[in-house]
Amino acid sequence: MFITTRFANPAEFLRLSRWLMPLLAGAAVTAFALGLYQALIFSPPDYQQGETVRIMYIHVPAAWMGLMLYAAMAIAAGVGIVARHPLADVFCVAAAPVGAVLVAICLVTGSLWGKPTWGAWWVWDARLTSVLILFLLYCGYMVLRHAFDDHERGSRAGGIMLLVGAVNIPIVKFSVDWWHTLHQPASVLRMGGSALAPEMLQPLLLMALAYACLTACLVMLRMKTILVTRRADAAELMQMENP
Amino acid sequence: MRGFLNLLRHELRLHRRQKVQWVALVLFFMIVLILLPFALGPEPDLLRRLAPGLVWISALLMTLLALDHMFIADARDGTLDIMALSPVPLPLIILSKSIAQIVMLLGALAIIILPAALLLGIGFVVLPILALTLVLGVPSLILLGGIVAAVTIALQRNPAMLALLLIPFMIPILIFAVAACDAAAIGASALTPILFLAALLAMLLPSSVFIIAASLKHGQG
Repeated sequence: MFITTRFANPAEFLRLSRWLMPLLAGAAVTAFALGLYQALIFSPPDYQQGETVRIMYIHVPAAWMGLMLYAAMAIAAGVGIVARHPLADVFCVAAAPVGAVLVAICLVTGSLWGKPTWGAWWVWDARLTSVLILFLLYCGYMVLRHAFDDHERGSRAGGIMLLVGAVNIPIVKFSVDWWHTLHQPASVLRMGGSALAPEMLQPLLLMALAYACLTACLVMLRMKTILVTRRADAAELMQMENP
Repeated sequence: MRGFLNLLRHELRLHRRQKVQWVALVLFFMIVLILLPFALGPEPDLLRRLAPGLVWISALLMTLLALDHMFIADARDGTLDIMALSPVPLPLIILSKSIAQIVMLLGALAIIILPAALLLGIGFVVLPILALTLVLGVPSLILLGGIVAAVTIALQRNPAMLALLLIPFMIPILIFAVAACDAAAIGASALTPILFLAALLAMLLPSSVFIIAASLKHGQG
């Protein structure tokens, strides 16, 4: 409740971002430096996949963050429609391109890994297809939201589409368990502990932390930009009305 | 309830009076279906194997065309505002419009499914399953499309936007429908994908009318 009431005031959010954003940026740089060193140089090659396993450290956290960001956008859209929180729409507009790029990174790195491992750039596997749909949902939201000049209407229309698209989130997550196709099942979070060796799990989690900090930082920066742009637009409009 | 039935009758009559549009949809379906063998090559075995998918692609495109003007005319001339003020709840009005649309499209499909089956060489084993997937799947398409059409109503007719937003949601329906037909073609049980289609419809039927009503109420402003 605290978050929803206090940060309903955009000025309060801007004040928060002033000290939180540099902190996140610093954390992201540190975690990326450590994580990339561990993932790309220090960690051992896989006994089956060899060096290509290192793609996993870029691919998996991008997929996690891309999916999580969509879930966060759907929740924000729900809050925006029900509680009319002024920052909900700003968050969704700010997060959409970041999420789309994360999913694109996931698809491209997955494709690069698939060629040497599976022998094909792309297979119509359930996980791959559902992630591709996730990418299309991001694109659809961005196009729809940009087609509206009026923020009030655009946030409602976009929010409804985000909520309808949220059905895809469990499909992406559980596609590897429901349909046993090519993509390997969950191995980090599963019953009976992680299937990953500790020397691989540690760089993966570090990279996940780095991606999370970077994502939060970028979304916050974009939210700030949108808030300032909207304020400037409003000021311009006011000046035009009372010169 | 009386109001709902009257509305349904009214909507069906509207569709009946717009025969040109209906005929155009039927012909569009046929044209797409005729186009596909030219693109894929005319080997009968290949076409027979791909036939359910081809019929479904044509049906998807036909639905997209039909959805483009599901609410636009009523929104433009103010009918929608008057309906929203009537004692019949808006979700029921939406339901009547959707049912009329579904009846219209399924009627068109019922007429063209036999010629289509002849053209593509669909056998009598697969045909009933294909028809069943259309009966279960097309209503879901209309209801999903209704949501997208309602959300984009303020944008005044934008077919490309409609397609971009709707097609990702059409994919699961397409997957289950074609899976059912493929299972029937090799003599396996098509029950599971058909139950999935039925479940999707059962989930969409009650929820979508409320979502459509909510977005129509605020979409026009």
